[in-house]
Amino acid sequence: MNKKLRSFNSPTFLAYALIAPAAIYILLIVAWPVLETIRLSFTNSSLAGEDYVGFENYEKMLSSKKFNKIVTRTFVWMFFSVSLKLIIGLIGAILLNANLRGRSMFRVLIMPPWVVPIAIGMLGWLWLYNGYFGIIAGVGMHTGILDGPFGFLAYKQSAFISTIVADVWVGTPMVTVFFLAAMQGVPRDLYEAAYCDGASRWDRFFKITLPQITPVIITMSILSAIWTFNSFEIIWILTEGGPRGATTTLIIDTYKQALGNYKFGRGAARAVVVMILLTLFAGFYLALLARINKKISHG
Amino acid sequence: MNLKKLSSFLIISIFSLTGFKSFAADVHGVFCGSDLRPNYVEIADEYMKNNPGVNVTLEAVPWGTCQDKVINLAIAGDPVAFSYVGSRTLKGLAENGHILETNIPASQQAMYQPGILNTVTHMGKTWGFPHAFSTKALFMNCGLLEQAGVACEGPQTWDELYSMAEAVTNNVAGVAGIGLAGKDFDNTMHQFLNYLYSNGGQVIDPLSNEITLDSSNTVEALEFYGKLANVAQEGPLAWERSQLTELFNDEKIAMYINGPWGRGQHKEGLDVSTVRIPAGPQGSQGTLLITDSIAVFNNTGVEDHAMALASIISSGDSQYSLDTDWGLTPIMQYPQIGKVAPYNEDYWMMFIDAIGDGGPEPLFVDYKAFQAVMNSMIQGAILEEGDPADLVAEAAEELEEYK
Repeated sequence: MNKKLRSFNSPTFLAYALIAPAAIYILLIVAWPVLETIRLSFTNSSLAGEDYVGFENYEKMLSSKKFNKIVTRTFVWMFFSVSLKLIIGLIGAILLNANLRGRSMFRVLIMPPWVVPIAIGMLGWLWLYNGYFGIIAGVGMHTGILDGPFGFLAYKQSAFISTIVADVWVGTPMVTVFFLAAMQGVPRDLYEAAYCDGASRWDRFFKITLPQITPVIITMSILSAIWTFNSFEIIWILTEGGPRGATTTLIIDTYKQALGNYKFGRGAARAVVVMILLTLFAGFYLALLARINKKISHG
Repeated sequence: MNLKKLSSFLIISIFSLTGFKSFAADVHGVFCGSDLRPNYVEIADEYMKNNPGVNVTLEAVPWGTCQDKVINLAIAGDPVAFSYVGSRTLKGLAENGHILETNIPASQQAMYQPGILNTVTHMGKTWGFPHAFSTKALFMNCGLLEQAGVACEGPQTWDELYSMAEAVTNNVAGVAGIGLAGKDFDNTMHQFLNYLYSNGGQVIDPLSNEITLDSSNTVEALEFYGKLANVAQEGPLAWERSQLTELFNDEKIAMYINGPWGRGQHKEGLDVSTVRIPAGPQGSQGTLLITDSIAVFNNTGVEDHAMALASIISSGDSQYSLDTDWGLTPIMQYPQIGKVAPYNEDYWMMFIDAIGDGGPEPLFVDYKAFQAVMNSMIQGAILEEGDPADLVAEAAEELEEYK
């Protein structure tokens, strides 16, 4: 058999051949749009067509006070949303992991926010937040907390908080399930040994459970941060970024520029910034994960 | 079969399989809504019957995506032949060469209500066949006004309107005097323009293309809109006009501004009176003249057919049928074609009489950015986030980029 034919029959060639369709597919649906977005960001593409404008879109964007506010707002929104998802998710997982009666039923009951399509869920939240017909204002008025109707989406601060609450509602079940799975993976003998040594519940949680599930907590923190950063439907359906831009995050601003105002070049520049920030996040995540894995395998 | 016959057969076969379709003129028209109106389909069928070789395909696209769809198709170089669009999009589409100037026949032009053609005119040319028109009026719940000790008579001035709304807010528990739109939505800007035009204001000079927003008329209108928040439903920034109808039906607000279709949406049993929008200190009782149009797109190869169809659809009986079915302000002076009802009722006079004092929806190249700037200015006034004069000046400066 000649050398050429031998190489065609080699396992390496076979491996590449098997990977090729998926690799080509990914190149087409990921690499090409990314490259096209980067190209567009250097143009003034709009209803009128496009011309190359160099770094103009980036210069305008980065020197705009509005844009800086949007970036800050995005991080604040993400910080509160992710923190709440992690805290509530952890508490939920601890409760679901406890030996409670009806535990299986509770495990099923936490899923709907995650299972229900976001658009449907948000229409429900729109009603809940309605000042006149919403249940939250209704309960507030009946209990005397509110002295009249209150539109939660009508004011900057309350709208900001309301969108975070809705995002936490959607995102928490998944965090809970992941934490619960991690907790169930902690070897029982660790708890038994600790119990025999007289460790309290508190000690067992902080000295066994928490260290054991730390890799999952970090993974979920970073993945949740990425998803929250890109969260679009929740804000769009509830407020469309208003009132007066109070809930406009980077992804909402990108959509408004590119598809709302037909300023594709400007929108693409924002999309590139989003991509860079998320790449940094992903890089940080991978580095941290590698470090933790190393620590665990050495420990 | 000899070679000559065989080659002829092959040529015919190839043409019939691949090229034949290109000889037919495919005219693709888009209308917004969930269904096509039957009279559109009849017009298309009739047109195809009279023009052999022309294939007309009409498509109904849901309101939320309709306009964006046709604009994106035009940008992508694959335009539809003609489409129903908001007239506010015409300037941007025209300036960028996506649509054609419309040759509205002189007889049809003469039939329009005054000011209608201004809503589709840019650079002295008309860019769409006006097809749906509305003016606005003030709807008053007489029962609630009387409970507040106020006579159910149309306020003539802003001061009178405010006093009436204040009386309701103070004297009828759980009811606000007026409904105010403030959500990030097109009709927030439209509601404000009703007040601006009732105070002799303007956003942009259509002839010189100069931004004229920064004026005492606008500052007064904005101040008043912000002041109305004191006697309006709680949290105006969470409400858009169609939701105000629900509040009106629930008797949570005593007055609000709406189009002529409002009557059909109100709950039975409400004692409702419809009056003209009151005048501001510097103006007369005005209204916003708002139209949707049929635009004919460029580079489709079937521009003539599209133009002819758009003209038929937006004229005569077809237009009358749309106006009466949808409960719109009559876009044409129908008595000229012998049609009087239903527009001879008193109710319609409030909407028809306002036409002469109305102003068009301002045309901007980037109409969505224009809307965002205006809404931000209005919301700023409602939230008292700045002096109205500063908010107006800031908005006027921002609008320069989008005209």
